[in-house]
Amino acid sequence: MSETSVSKRPPAKRPPAAGSAPRAFPTGVVVWAAVAAVAVAVPFYLDAFWLTAGMFAMSAAVGAIGINLLTGATGQLSMGHAFFLAVGAYGYVYFSAEPDGHLGGLGLPTPLAAVLAIALAGLAGGVFSPIAGRLKGAYLGIATLALIFLGQHVLFSAEPVTGGYNGRAVPPLELFGFSFSDETDLVVMGIPFGAPERLWYLGAVLLALAALFARGVLRDRPGRAMNTIRDHETAAGVMGVPVARYRAGVFVLSSMYGGLAGVMLALSFQRAVPDYFGVMLSLDYLAMIVIGGLGSVGGAVIGAVFVSLLPQVLTRYSDSMPLVAQPGESGFSPAEAARMLYGAAVVAVVLFLPGGLLGLASRIRASLAGRRPHPRNTRSSS
Amino acid sequence: MTTFAELLLNGISMGAVYALIALGFVIIFKASEVVNFAHASLLLAGGFITAKLHGSIGFWPALAAGIAGAAAVGCLVEFLVIRRSKAADHSVLAIATIGVDIVLATEIARHIGTDVLAMGDPWGDQVVRLGPVSISEARLAALLVAFVLIATFLLAFKHTGWGVAMRAAAEDGETAALMGVRLSRVSMSAWAVAGALAAVAALFLAVFPTPGLDKTTGMVALKAFPAAILGGLDSTTGALVGGLLIGVTEALMSGYQGDLSFLGRGIGDVAPFLVMLLVLLIRPAGLFGTRELTRV
Amino acid sequence: MNGFRLSAGALGIAAMLALAACGSDKGAGGGDETGADGVKHGPGVSDKTIGVGMITDLTGPYAPLGKSISQGAQLYFEQVNKAGGICGRTVEPQVRDMGYDVQKSVASYTELEPKVAAFAHFIGSATVGAVQDRIAKDGPLTLVLAWSPQMLGAKQIQMTGTTYAIDVINGVDYAVDEHGLKSGDKIGHIYVEGDYGVDSLAGSTFAAGQHGMTVVEQKVKATDADMTSQIAAMKSEGVKAIVLSTSPKQTASAVGVAAAQGMDVPFLGSNSSFAPQLLDTPVGPALTKGFVVMQASSPLSADLETMKKLATDYKAKYPDAVLDNGVMAGYTTAAITGDALKLACGKKDLTREGIISAHRSQNAWDGGFGSKMDFTDVGQPPSRETYILQPDKDSLGGLKTVREASVSENAQKYEIKLG
Repeated sequence: MSETSVSKRPPAKRPPAAGSAPRAFPTGVVVWAAVAAVAVAVPFYLDAFWLTAGMFAMSAAVGAIGINLLTGATGQLSMGHAFFLAVGAYGYVYFSAEPDGHLGGLGLPTPLAAVLAIALAGLAGGVFSPIAGRLKGAYLGIATLALIFLGQHVLFSAEPVTGGYNGRAVPPLELFGFSFSDETDLVVMGIPFGAPERLWYLGAVLLALAALFARGVLRDRPGRAMNTIRDHETAAGVMGVPVARYRAGVFVLSSMYGGLAGVMLALSFQRAVPDYFGVMLSLDYLAMIVIGGLGSVGGAVIGAVFVSLLPQVLTRYSDSMPLVAQPGESGFSPAEAARMLYGAAVVAVVLFLPGGLLGLASRIRASLAGRRPHPRNTRSSS
Repeated sequence: MTTFAELLLNGISMGAVYALIALGFVIIFKASEVVNFAHASLLLAGGFITAKLHGSIGFWPALAAGIAGAAAVGCLVEFLVIRRSKAADHSVLAIATIGVDIVLATEIARHIGTDVLAMGDPWGDQVVRLGPVSISEARLAALLVAFVLIATFLLAFKHTGWGVAMRAAAEDGETAALMGVRLSRVSMSAWAVAGALAAVAALFLAVFPTPGLDKTTGMVALKAFPAAILGGLDSTTGALVGGLLIGVTEALMSGYQGDLSFLGRGIGDVAPFLVMLLVLLIRPAGLFGTRELTRV
Repeated sequence: MNGFRLSAGALGIAAMLALAACGSDKGAGGGDETGADGVKHGPGVSDKTIGVGMITDLTGPYAPLGKSISQGAQLYFEQVNKAGGICGRTVEPQVRDMGYDVQKSVASYTELEPKVAAFAHFIGSATVGAVQDRIAKDGPLTLVLAWSPQMLGAKQIQMTGTTYAIDVINGVDYAVDEHGLKSGDKIGHIYVEGDYGVDSLAGSTFAAGQHGMTVVEQKVKATDADMTSQIAAMKSEGVKAIVLSTSPKQTASAVGVAAAQGMDVPFLGSNSSFAPQLLDTPVGPALTKGFVVMQASSPLSADLETMKKLATDYKAKYPDAVLDNGVMAGYTTAAITGDALKLACGKKDLTREGIISAHRSQNAWDGGFGSKMDFTDVGQPPSRETYILQPDKDSLGGLKTVREASVSENAQKYEIKLG
């Protein structure tokens, strides 16, 4: 294993404008075109199970991009990400649902409800900013843990809004008269397009937009300021970066990403239940960005796909896997095997792959091409 | 009034157990600047060893084995993960401990399976009556043991060579190393001590009035996070105060939830976090934590 | 950048067309067909096999029960297959563990739904709740192991026994008869967050109101293990009986604390509040005194041929497993599913619709397990009967019968509000 020193390079030697990398060598176009083609073609081949799994992965990717802006790029540990997903999911349900019996709702048009839900998540992040702006590292991590417990308490207690323990049905999104649900029949080239197929495209588009925006943020001034805060807080202050304001601002932005991920999840679940938005979900998100690669959009996406598809793959193919047990047999159950693998992956990545899977990919590419990977794909240690 | 006294006493004894766990966090944080999210599984490991062995070798040897076992697991985590990690960013190390926790907890839970394991402790379901107020013997024992242990460590911190080395390492690692303090040894001993404390806490979390150890026992460690934070992550006194504060708040808010129903039922479990947020709003470094001065 | 994205898009669409033109096998299947033997088929049924799904919890909080439930069901289908299967077809059980995680529950349902003719069990309110709307739309017959009123109202979804509330009403009425509670008394109710607790509380509140009593509530989280504060609050309120709608661990703690403090009141536990494993813990002795379980299904120790055979067969197949109510629940729901399939086969209609209407035509199913269930009314639980059972170390499954199944007057008149 070639332990290149890329990740250990002191930040001072880093090219000042990390974003001005040679943008697209021609192969880039081909790669992206291929990605787009696969994204378009997938619903024609995979069944509902995989499309739903894909939608989970895409919403996880959006959420992971958000927390990577905060934890990866700015160095602020957050264990409260699941709370903002909950705000997004329930916000969407409440804004879009018609009042029904004891359940309240505003009955707004669904796209507007989605936008408002994201704004609400941002607002929730803003309310937390007196803490998010002043705390850092572990303190912020544990303080945000409080959001999870408070949030779940509210979700269970505020029944008129959340539906309590059993949650609420999620109204399907309707865009210009097109409903992302099974309600109307749609057949494209002989393939029936139900909710999973339609949501797949919605997810792909939203993920692409979210990724592009985040890439813009990271490659521009704010991104550099964020990295400086992470690497050298004091230096950032000396250079005139308003540290507290940046921290609070990134927290709000990452909350909004969480909110969008929540809306997407709600749409694919078709029902929002409070149990889901617990500590484990927050930990999953941290695991995603560490496994994928801290501080970059690509890392977040790779990590999200890995963490959200691993248990599904293991469960689906548990019958044909030797180590995975059926009920009544001893050995690892699929869920246990998935948890062990993913826990081990987190540790292994921290120990052996400081740049995450993305860093590994670019290292492989670099060694194939015989040159050094570009630093934007790795994370410098301070 | 009796109810209040009973709740208070129970809160204090639970708080003492939380303080043991929180003290472990703080010691690890001081020695290696890592927030150890794997604490829950250290706790579970200690409790599991005690529960499995007491039948064959008797309670006290089993407890000793549990303590030693959890300490060993702590050392192992330090040796295999923390020491080897090249990530200097402590948030990344904290996330690594989450990974460790998931692996350990899943493996131990697999062995516990669906059982509720008895600890074989000598206290059973005996109750001590102090006038009208009653408290279980096990809880009283928890209170005493926790205070003795915590007092021992506070003294050791002040007066032994180990304590001095630990404080020096926490103050300024590089200088301490230059002065001849072996940082790796300090760090490993901290993990061992934290594991041992967690094993003791596990015992008291799994004896009467709870029926025994099961795979969710480790979750209690989550309540020790706010305890450690609100006391100040780098303050041993803070861990003690934080633990007690959390224990008492929780017991009182649960006991009087009937009068607090406007906050929603079941507020007792959220209370520790509410208290923590309040404290952090006023003192971002916790009650006894040192405000970090910026270094350039 | 623009050009790049344009060309990417164009390439993508071209690729899509090319790929789609090659054809995919996805469009086929899903509809109803008629098999070689003249039996109409729906999803999950072929000429040789019938797929039956089970969505269970083997790794989450309900793992102890989940394991027994799934093994009980596996046992049933194994026996059915040994006896020649159903409709000349082999039953293929497909088990998915969702660890009581709603996302995994959604994924498991999405995966199994097109492949099965029915779900022999699906554990948990929240987990079922996440896909409930989809089941109610065009899903297969689904036996749910969750007893909240939310599970009523859809023809596809079938609970067994009765709701949490009715169990508790029967229990409170029993306590009034046996322990002389009277108007003006207070009864305590410790319940966990969630609809298990909330519906149970609705039951105790209703029953207490009918007797002129009041309820002292204490809500706990599923993860709480120590009930000291709750019992202290009950003690200071001077309650005359305590209902426990908690997890087994919490039950043990509550009963143990009360016993240790010399608080001598009867305890009534909901059907999920007890596990035989508790009898080996230090609070075991306290549980066998003054604590009863209210449950709609007959206990494993019941003097019934079917039950004894089940216990023997189960022990033979899983010698190391614990015999608890889960075994019984899993076996019963599997038997209900099996009987629905057999009935539908008789009508030569194994479509989803056919299986559901065959199932819903039965008004006195008992399968040899003692209590009769009526599946015809989708808005009502199949029974309103409750057994009163007591923990007993020597009885099979750790419970012995104190009072046979019966419906109290209040349980009969309690109106169930659909979710």
